[in-house]
Amino acid sequence: MPSNTIATTEKAICYHCGLECPTDDIRINDKFFCCNGCKTVYEMLDSNDLCNYYSLEETPGISKLNEVKRNFDFLDDSDLKNKLIDFTDGKVTTITFDIPQMHCSSCVWILENLYKFNKGITFSEVDFLKKTLSVKFIEEKTSLQKIVELLDSLGYLPNFNLDEKKEDKVKEEYKKLYYKIGIAGFSFGNVMLLSFPDYLSFTDKVTMEMQNTFNWISIFLSLPVFLYSASEYYISAFKGLKNKIVNIDVPITLGIFVLFFRSLYEIFVIGSVGYLDSMTALVFLLLTGKIFQNKTYEAMNFERNYKSYFPIAVSIMKEGKETTIPVDKLEVGQRIVVKNNELIPADSILISERANIDYSFVTGESQPVEVINGEMIYAGGKEIGEAIEVETVKEVSQSYLTQLWNSKAFDKKYESKIDTTVNFVSKYFTAIILTIASSAFIYWVSTDLKLAFNAFTAVLIIACPCALALSTPFTLGNTQRIFGRNKFYVKNTTVIEKLSNITSIVFDKTGTITETAKANIQFVGNEISLEEQSMIKTLVRNSSHPLSLRIASLLRLGSKQKLDSYEEVSGQGIQGLINNRIVKIGSHSFTSGTLYKSNNSDTSTKVHISIDDRQLGYYQIKNVYRGGLKKIVDSLKEKYKLFILSGDNAGEKDNLLEFFPDADHLYFNQSPHDKLNFIENLNKKEKILMIGDGLNDAGALVKSDVGISISEDINNFSPACDGILDAKSFKYLKDFIRFSITSKKIIITSFIISFIYNLVGISFAIQGTLSPVISAILMPISSISIVVFTTVSTNMIAKKRGFL
Amino acid sequence: MSAMLILIGFSLSVAIIFLIAFLWAVKSGQYKDRYTPSIRMLFDDKKNNDTNSNNHININRSNQ
Amino acid sequence: MNIEKFSYDNQIVRLFILATVIWGIVGMTVGVLIAFQIYLPWLNFDLQYTTFGRMRPLHTNAVIFAFVGNAIFAGVYYSLQRLTKARMFSDVLSKINFWGWQLIIVAVAITYTLGITTSKEYAEAEWPIDIMIALVWVAFGVNMIGTLMKRREKHMYVAIWFYIATFVTVAVLHIVNSFELPVSLFKSYSVFAGVQDALVEWWYGHNAVAFFLTTPYLGLMYYYLPKAANRPVYSYRLSILHFWSLIFLYIWAGPHHLLYSALPNWAQSLGTVFSIMLIAPSWGGMLNGLLTLRGAWDRVRDDAVLKFYVVAVTAYGMSTFEGPMLSLKNVNALAHFTDWIPAHVHIGTLGWNGLLTFGMLYWLVPKMWNTKLFSNKLATAHFWIATLGMVVWVVPMYWSGLTQSLMWKEFTPLGVLQYPNFLETVLQIVPMYIIRSIGGSLYLTGAIVMIYNLVKTAKQGSFTANEDTEAPAMEKAGGDNKKSHRWIEKRPIQFAIVSTVVILIGGLVEFIPTWLIKSNIPTIESVKPYTPLELEGRDLYIRESCNSCHSQLVRPFRSETERYGEYSKAGEFVYDHPFLWGSKRTGPDLHRIGGKYSNMWHYLHMQDPRQMSPGSLMPKYSWLIEQQLDTDIISTKINAMRSLGVPYEEGYENEALNDLQLQAQEIADDLLESGIIVEPDREIIALIAYLQRLGTDIKVKQAENE
Repeated sequence: MPSNTIATTEKAICYHCGLECPTDDIRINDKFFCCNGCKTVYEMLDSNDLCNYYSLEETPGISKLNEVKRNFDFLDDSDLKNKLIDFTDGKVTTITFDIPQMHCSSCVWILENLYKFNKGITFSEVDFLKKTLSVKFIEEKTSLQKIVELLDSLGYLPNFNLDEKKEDKVKEEYKKLYYKIGIAGFSFGNVMLLSFPDYLSFTDKVTMEMQNTFNWISIFLSLPVFLYSASEYYISAFKGLKNKIVNIDVPITLGIFVLFFRSLYEIFVIGSVGYLDSMTALVFLLLTGKIFQNKTYEAMNFERNYKSYFPIAVSIMKEGKETTIPVDKLEVGQRIVVKNNELIPADSILISERANIDYSFVTGESQPVEVINGEMIYAGGKEIGEAIEVETVKEVSQSYLTQLWNSKAFDKKYESKIDTTVNFVSKYFTAIILTIASSAFIYWVSTDLKLAFNAFTAVLIIACPCALALSTPFTLGNTQRIFGRNKFYVKNTTVIEKLSNITSIVFDKTGTITETAKANIQFVGNEISLEEQSMIKTLVRNSSHPLSLRIASLLRLGSKQKLDSYEEVSGQGIQGLINNRIVKIGSHSFTSGTLYKSNNSDTSTKVHISIDDRQLGYYQIKNVYRGGLKKIVDSLKEKYKLFILSGDNAGEKDNLLEFFPDADHLYFNQSPHDKLNFIENLNKKEKILMIGDGLNDAGALVKSDVGISISEDINNFSPACDGILDAKSFKYLKDFIRFSITSKKIIITSFIISFIYNLVGISFAIQGTLSPVISAILMPISSISIVVFTTVSTNMIAKKRGFL
Repeated sequence: MSAMLILIGFSLSVAIIFLIAFLWAVKSGQYKDRYTPSIRMLFDDKKNNDTNSNNHININRSNQ
Repeated sequence: MNIEKFSYDNQIVRLFILATVIWGIVGMTVGVLIAFQIYLPWLNFDLQYTTFGRMRPLHTNAVIFAFVGNAIFAGVYYSLQRLTKARMFSDVLSKINFWGWQLIIVAVAITYTLGITTSKEYAEAEWPIDIMIALVWVAFGVNMIGTLMKRREKHMYVAIWFYIATFVTVAVLHIVNSFELPVSLFKSYSVFAGVQDALVEWWYGHNAVAFFLTTPYLGLMYYYLPKAANRPVYSYRLSILHFWSLIFLYIWAGPHHLLYSALPNWAQSLGTVFSIMLIAPSWGGMLNGLLTLRGAWDRVRDDAVLKFYVVAVTAYGMSTFEGPMLSLKNVNALAHFTDWIPAHVHIGTLGWNGLLTFGMLYWLVPKMWNTKLFSNKLATAHFWIATLGMVVWVVPMYWSGLTQSLMWKEFTPLGVLQYPNFLETVLQIVPMYIIRSIGGSLYLTGAIVMIYNLVKTAKQGSFTANEDTEAPAMEKAGGDNKKSHRWIEKRPIQFAIVSTVVILIGGLVEFIPTWLIKSNIPTIESVKPYTPLELEGRDLYIRESCNSCHSQLVRPFRSETERYGEYSKAGEFVYDHPFLWGSKRTGPDLHRIGGKYSNMWHYLHMQDPRQMSPGSLMPKYSWLIEQQLDTDIISTKINAMRSLGVPYEEGYENEALNDLQLQAQEIADDLLESGIIVEPDREIIALIAYLQRLGTDIKVKQAENE
């Protein structure tokens, strides 16, 4: 909400973080600071003469304004520590932190100079894109806790989560790919070089003499390509055939083998040159396609489980002193302290008087519920207001919420059921090629066996579906990048293909089509004077009830009034005496009146106001729907079946009906399990795109064909999903889907093109006359033209549609 | 063309040296991070405390 | 704690900067001198030491190896230390590198003026200097690798990769191209002959450009451009790709320098293809450099350093585009042997190397003397002068190249050459030469302005020879190399590959020698070895570097066969150690000069070219008439040639001197008949003998056929 405060005088800018300084008293000679936190950081840097920090960028700091003192005792717990660190030999320990706050070169610089603060740190290295910092430290000299405290004091509090790190494995895969492409590229270049004499001067006696040597070198060079670089295609083809799937790698493998052995035959038996250049080129091109396809969003994680949402540690009271322990160490019957906006890690009983728990995260219910002493609080709920004390009754893993994650939804291997277009095509493609090849063979075999054999192999060589294999990665790779540019990040390219096939779309309500923490609140009733407003503000500011907080935030004027008495009636409201007038804020009955009686149909939340028992009206709190929702829904509803799953009560039904036509597609009071089951049922007949946000959708997101999670800030946690959509780009949803369909069309077009190439080539091949030159020219040309075609067309269309 | 073969021989050997260098580079994680080094090289070891100097690095965040 | 305190060696950098500036001025001055000499033949003041022929190699070597070379070392020694967070591996090696290199330069300067040369372009230095070069270069390499070994920064920035590539490749190129057989302390013969020698030479020549003028400078660009602009390179990913693709392509592009030569077609086309492929990586690099400045163009407006970089990088883009174009056969047919080539080269050297160096110095000196640049205005002035000078240099040369080439090829409707007299085509372009010399002078002036500016800057600052700094020692286990480093054993496949590779190298080493002996050039039996006198004459031809201005390669075009005679065959050069094809026709081709003119003509022409062809731009070679021919080592020369495969029969070395004197006497007598009295032991006699022999073997054959 835009603040309409009038900037009276030019405020000083915090030298550290660049925020406006509320006052001018926090300063070091000419440098002003917004808060003592920032000042302290400056002093720290100054004392270690690291002020370069400020010369690299203007005000690079992270504001320390309204920051709470954190306690990192839990990091001493060895089990937890071992979960967090990468590697230790007892003396030296390596750990990698996620630090989403890092944003500029100063951050990089300061984080890589950590050793200047803490002599125990021997090495610290930033990966700016991943937003990670890997630190190596000596156990005797310092401790994990000290380092984290240091980072926190600098404003770079790491994000801890206990997701198991399978990153390293991925790394190795990448490396392998790079090895392979390096070798293939090297051999390709050199083999091509050595094939030139054959291409360019067939008669030249000199070259004929050297040809022999050249052939030998070529064979040596192409061996690693054949044995190593291309290996993964053989494996995948083999796996495919084992599962009775003829995937694209089958014809590729066929092509490579024929190319290689035919070449050997040509060289040794016939004594001419082979197709080794074509072979190496083929592998090289295919691998480049792979590299291009493997775009990953390093800062993002698409496989988060509930653990990443949970506090890694909880505060407990130990002999009256508050300390922190890792959440896993939490036992049943333990008393823990939950502060404002902290998550409840396990189902527990409330010990304190009263609590306001916001379950929106778990159930989607947007209104916080008030819990009274002795009542049950479920894991995943969030305390709003002052700190509370609770006693756990279940272990973390047994909690109401976490059961969702133990559902089978999460252990299903859904990668297996992808039927990509290319695999579909390749089935027939392979069949056709083999038929042509063998018929060519049969045709010639009677007349000339050698020719027949040549024709057979030539067909397989020329028809090698390089272009076919490249069109998908390049089209989808481009699309993925284009989506990324528009803040829609998909996990991998297959998601795009799936997206193009969906038939129905399921929305979660809270946080998905409504904007979280931005409910619109309006006053219904007769005019209230400024004086009355300030009285109301005075009163609500004394309550931590979420509704009070919202009203307070709505009234932007100061509250200089004196509050003589204050009383909070639980579940009813609050009242107080302000210059001898009784102000009541709360439920209709509480404000004791007859006016503004709500009819039952309207279930939106109301907070009534009365002064001296004279009712002034009520504040009505409605959800705010995302901008352009109407347009999107209208554009989508002809083509797709639309559903709404809401954890809320039916309060919003009427409003929703403005957007969504048929009422029986709106489901309310949906628990996470309900959502999961709903999707599972729908899945039987529909291809589903599920759009959700919080933990409560996690099951549904995984179960649906494409699960996209909306996020206000993409570096924040999102549940396991196929794609992360920045809330700002929600309005383009339709365009994204449309574009995914387009790119599928592009793929099909490029298939057709490559088929044409194949026809040309095969027309040579079946006559058994295929010179190495032709294959060496045709193959790269076809592949490259496909790459160009897909890249250009995707980008052009993207431009036309305003994506670029 | 004996010279031709000598040249090819040497060129090839050089190329092979570089291929091995490439494999090593990938292996030893030289290319693990393909962005940060470009920022890192801009930092001067010289500590200049005149913070008003306008040598502000503006890094392009167009990556990612 | 393992924070290590150490210091950067700025002293060595300062020395190299000094050398860069001084040699820069020297090299450019010589350049300007020959630019004037080319149209003012008297400008050598009738001294044999200052003829165009001897000055041109001096110029090329001075600017390439002295100016650019020292600039490379300066740039590398500064940036490498900072990129690796380590002092240079060994101060001793640094010193050896510096003083050794300067010694080489001086030696080169002296020997070239004395006419001691191998005549191989950009490698004219004789064998003792070649050995020195190899040693000093290795010292540099060891120093660099050593520094990398003890570096404190795990990642090797892309610039470092370019440096490494430079070291490795130049080492190999230099060694291969210096296969030569010494006959005396100051004389050697290339092991390769004719076509093969040409092939090796231009494989070297091209890659010298690639790996001495390009890769190190790309490294410098990737360091100094971001530094000066204070923003990271546009795309680091792209720079990595740039490096690897460039490395794997460059090596092969050499043969395009020999299009239409006696080289096999496929080798020629090969050069073309790879040159074309080079456009991609080169332009990738250029764009990467320029885009680094995107959004900072306002800075470019008022920062002289960035101005230099912008134009330098653009020039790189231009010449890397022009290069492949020139390697297209039809373009090459037009441009080769003409002034187009110097124009192309000078875009690269004046633009890319020169301006980048200036930019680097303007940034480096204030940094090292802890001060600001004395005058940004002067620097800007220098920038404009240099750019203008470059344009004034290049444009007329393109013009003259095209003009002359077209004149060479022009026929009258009757089918005879429009300009049968080569001199016509030369006089036509003299105005262009004049303008060019002005351009060169401008560029030199700019450089002098720079010196003033830099000296002033240094004066106002304070230099720290050893810059103290500190950095944590590099840990073995940075991120992921905690695993064992003996990775090959762990990965059977990689091991397989590496072993394949080793076998491959082994194989090559095996059969190369056998190939060396048996060369399979189609031999022409009528082609006979040179007589001792001709051999001496040929060595004089080399001493005077006649090949600086005269080619010995008639290309298979009608325009050339009409003008010079039968086009050159590979077989005719089998005894040419080294080859003398030349690369520029400032004067006419000489391959078929034999028998064209009388001995008297040659005698008078050498005495004063303008006696025979008025208006000729060739300097007088009168000292050839005074000086006695040195025949002391003729027998050694004969032996050397024989061991290189030239079929002088055993024991001929003893008769050689005798034969020589007989043939000399014949020529002397012939001259006497035409009224010229000259001792038979004069150098002129030998030279005439050689010239009269040139390209006659085939004619003889034809005569027999009739």
